[in-house]
This record gives sequence, structure tokens and C-alpha cells, in this order.
Amino acid sequence: MKLWYSYLKELKLSSKGFYFYMEILMTVIILVLLLFVIPEEMDNKHDEYIMFDMPVQAEEYYVNIIKENDIDGKSEIIEIEIEDKVINVELYVTEESKLHIFDNEEDLIAATEADRPSIGAKITWDKANSNYKYDYYLQGYESEKLRNLYTIIHVKDLEALVAKGDSYEVKVLKTGHERLNTKQNAVPALITFNGSLMGLFIIAAYIFLDKQEGVIKAYAVTASHVWEYLLSKALTLMTVTTITTFIIIVPVMGTQPTYWAMLILLLTSAFFSSAIGLVISSFFDNMTQSFGAIYGVMILFMLPAIEYFIPSWNPLWIKFIPIYYLIQGFKETIMVNGDMTYVMLSSAGFLLMGIIFFLYANHRFKKNLAV
Amino acid sequence: MIKVKGLNHSYKKDGKYAVNNVNFEVAEGEIFGFLGPSGAGKSTTQNIMTGLLQLQEGEVTVAGYDVKHIKNEMFNQIGMSFEQSNVYSKMTAKENLDFYRKLFDVETREPQDLLDLVGLGDKGNIRAGEFSKGMKHRLTFARSMINNPTLWFLDEPTTGLDPSIAADIKDIIRRENKKGVTVFLTTHNMYIADELCDRVAFIVDGDIKLIDSPKNLKLQYGEQLVEVEYIKDGDVVKESFSTIKTEDKNQLKDIIDKYEIQTMHTKEATLEEIFIKVTGRGLK
Repeated sequence: MKLWYSYLKELKLSSKGFYFYMEILMTVIILVLLLFVIPEEMDNKHDEYIMFDMPVQAEEYYVNIIKENDIDGKSEIIEIEIEDKVINVELYVTEESKLHIFDNEEDLIAATEADRPSIGAKITWDKANSNYKYDYYLQGYESEKLRNLYTIIHVKDLEALVAKGDSYEVKVLKTGHERLNTKQNAVPALITFNGSLMGLFIIAAYIFLDKQEGVIKAYAVTASHVWEYLLSKALTLMTVTTITTFIIIVPVMGTQPTYWAMLILLLTSAFFSSAIGLVISSFFDNMTQSFGAIYGVMILFMLPAIEYFIPSWNPLWIKFIPIYYLIQGFKETIMVNGDMTYVMLSSAGFLLMGIIFFLYANHRFKKNLAV
Repeated sequence: MIKVKGLNHSYKKDGKYAVNNVNFEVAEGEIFGFLGPSGAGKSTTQNIMTGLLQLQEGEVTVAGYDVKHIKNEMFNQIGMSFEQSNVYSKMTAKENLDFYRKLFDVETREPQDLLDLVGLGDKGNIRAGEFSKGMKHRLTFARSMINNPTLWFLDEPTTGLDPSIAADIKDIIRRENKKGVTVFLTTHNMYIADELCDRVAFIVDGDIKLIDSPKNLKLQYGEQLVEVEYIKDGDVVKESFSTIKTEDKNQLKDIIDKYEIQTMHTKEATLEEIFIKVTGRGLK
């Protein structure tokens, strides 16, 4: 009952506080972004710059294949400005990419360099070996896996290809479930930011406010436990996180998400981030002192969100940051036929880590109440 | 009610002790004053007794509970009024008391009665954040009584209060004590200690220098003086004479015979003067 009264008191106090309205404002901003700014589908056709250095018949063969894939079956001549020089290139638009055909290698390289995410390719007929030679011009930041893919993509020797292929991890990217559109795909990272990261910051702010008013000491000399005080804070954050997340999810996703699983993941992850916020706040006396630590943790926790939007950047160490599993878990909950086992395992992980951090925070608070 | 034996505490655990081999006992129904200047170790000792600081060395028993293995039910018996007011500023005075009364397992007092008692009866629905420093202090004091404590820790209970309110607070302390409440009073204000305490302890640099009743201390260390103001050659002269020393007594007799006396009264040594005499340090 004491926990319940503390929880009610915390809800009342948080509704009167600045940070509660900050959280509501963030929720509204995210909702507006999702409803009115982020489109359902973005033009995600990537640019490819190609040059053929081969006999005319061979080049025609290639161009015909491209033409077959072109949306309207014909090319158009467009002007490209590279370093104050205007050149004409032939443009083919397929379902997946925009192919620009160049006449010389110098322009191909310059165009690729000027358009950072794009890739250039020069295809040459190698008379000596009687086969095609592929030269790729990359930007330099591409992952090792992508580079390796370009290295083996034209290997004709099947055995060599299988041998090379065996050394790569094969990940199933598409299963039975429906693909998320651009807007839906942005939801997991945004609700992670709104819930867990804001929660971590806000619970620390609440604790510092209490430290400033000295009310923790007053609580500590009652017949109530310190853990009840701390848990009431965490429960308040879990409640606010759940409400603000559903304010975002319901208008954007409608009935598609698996809400019961999302609720479990939300509660456990909010408990986890609250516990981390409690641990951090146990080391400092005020917000100013703790800024470095809080922002350090927040930036660390934001890295999986960056990885989420840049699939080609997928270092192994990112999987050691728990937020990685939170974003993936949220993604599963909003997908049709999402993997609920993954969501439940992630939730169990967050609950377990949350309990460990919470116990440590409780130990620290009990030890330092008078300081 | 309180037993402290061989208490040592070092904040940095570097051998520098904030309290050093502190020993004392407080009997049930007593008002015990813990007197010392800032940084003497008063708050450290009190924080250990109330569980706000972990006991490092020594034995401390409070209201029959061993502080080494503190149990939450101990707090049903104790009340604590802090020197720095610590109430929820976004909650009203009544909401503050209403919330705290729910954190005890014993019968609690009505918030309105407590607010009436400390002169905040008509301020119950005002947010504590809008209170003056003195009003917040009274609310903190009122909150410490919410669970009808049998042992009451008071840290500078009259600090920042105007004299009439301070007098009311002292009356409340006396009344509660008459009901059988044991009071542990931490202060550097010798007047309140002198007025209220059955016994006082002088603590300086973490060491208790002596423990005795104010009356005994005055008898032991104080010197009865007579202060005289008289007219001599048209000027007012003010002098003090000991009532014990023969030379002083004779001088006083001469003055009474020869000059016109304007004022004359006896003066006891104050607790502060005794404190300085015993410890060589002031209380501020």
C-alpha cells in the first residue's frame, strides 16, 4: 500500500512538473513528424553510374537488358553538372535504381564522387581473357561485407563462389510478414527515443529535484523502504512512457500492432531505462554534475537507432547495446505476423537487467541518503 | 531509549573521524541536548542514529533497535525534524502531511490538528512552495509528529523562526515531553538547550567533552556575578563583581556605601560561556 501511495503521489507531482510537459511536447513533435512530415513511401531509388568499354554489339546487348527493366522501356537524355561542366548522359529508371550511362571514365568518376551515396561501375570487354571486367567506384565508407560482395558477385566459378559464400553469415531478411512502409519503419526508433531515452533523463531529473528539496531524507525516516520510493518513481515513468507511446502508435499504426506484446516490451524497457537513470542519479547531487554521464549513456543508446536507419553499417559491437534489441523488438510488435518470441525474450532481458540495475541503485541510495 | 557506545565514523574512511569514540545514553522521557558548533559531529551522530548514515564502528541502539541491522518498524516510533525544511513544494501543506501519514504502520495524527498546533491551520491548502522559510520549517516540524513518536529527533527546531513562534515551538516540545516523549535535541543555540534540556552533551571535533545537566554545569563551572551601574564624578560606571571572592565583595560594599546606585542585578554564567570555558571553542 505504501508503494501505491508513493506512486499516486509521484503521478500527482509529475503532472505538476516541467518535465512531464517536456515529455508530452516530445510526443506531440514525434506524432506530427510521423503524421505530416515523414511520407508513406520515400523515393529510395539509388543512383548508379555506368560506363561501357566494349564492342558496340556487346554494349547494345547490355543496354537492351537495361531497357527491358526500364519502367517505360525507353531512355531519356539528361544534363548533369559536374564541377562547372555540363555533360549529357542517358538515363534509365527501373523499379530499384536510376542508371546513368556515361561515355568516358573521367566523367563517371567525377559524377560518382559528387553524388556521395552512389556507386560507379565501368564494364570492359577483356580481349585477352575473353571475358568482362568490372571496375567499381565506391565512396570508401562502405562496409567490408559490401566490398566483398562486389568482389565475388561476378565470380563464374561456382565452386569458388560456394567456397567464398560459406564464409559469410546468411541472414533471412524477409519472411512471411509484410514489409513496413517508410513511415512505419521510422516508428520503432522514434518511440525508443521518446520512451526509454527520455525516461532515463526524466527520472534522473525527478531524483535531483527531490535531492534539492531534501525529501528523500524525509522519506528515509518513515516506516517505508527506500526501494518503494525508487520503484514509485520507476512506475511513474513506466506509466508516462506507456501513455505517450500509445498516443503516437494508435494514430499512426491503427490496429496493426500486437498491442499486448508492445505493452510488455514498453513496461520492461521503461523499467530498465528508469533503473539506469536511478543508478546515474545515485552518483551525483544535481543535473549539472550528471550531464556528462546522462548524455554519454543517451548517445550510446542512440547508436542502435543510427544503425537501424543505415543497414549497411552493422558492426558486431552494436548488438551489445540493449537498445538494439528494443528497436528490433518494437519493429516486431508493429509488423503483421511479427516474431513475438523475440519480443518476449527481449522483454525478459530488459526485466532482468532492470532488476539488477534497480537493486544496485537501491543499495547506493541506502548508503548515501544523508550525503 | 538511546545507547551509543564507541561510535566512530569516517566519511572518506581515511582514518579522519567526523565522530570519534562517542559514548552516551539517553533515558526514556528525557530531553537530551547535543550541543556543538557547526562541523562538530552533531549531524553525523544523529544521521547514524536515524539510519541516514550507515554505522561503521561502534554500537548504537535506538528505541530498542540495533542500528547496525536497522528495521523499518523502528521508524514507527521515531520522529525527525530536519534543520533544512524538506517538504514537497508542489504539494499543499495538508497534502504533504496526508502523504507522510500513509507511510507509517501506527496510528497517526490528523494533519489539520498538527497544522493548527504550529500556527498553519489556515494555510493547509496552500502549496508549500509558496510558504516562507519559517512556515516551511514549521511544516517540517509538524510532519515529525505525524506518527506520535516516542523518540523525537529535533535538529535546530527554532532556527529561522520569529521569537513568538519559537516560543510556541518550545511549548510544544515541553508538552510532548510531559506526555512521555523522549527528545534528542541537536542545536548550537545554548538558550533553547538551557531552557529545555534535562541534560546536555558538548561535542567538539567529533569528541564529547562532557555530559551533564545545565544546572550542574552552572554550579560547577559558572561564577555568580553582580553587575552594578553607579554614578561616579557625574559619569555612569558599570562593573561586575564576584559574589564569592572576598576582595570583590568588599569592593561592592564600598560602592554601595559611597555612590548612587542606578542598577544592580545578579548574573549567572550562560551555557555558552561554560561551553567556551570547557572546550575553548565558541558555539557559532
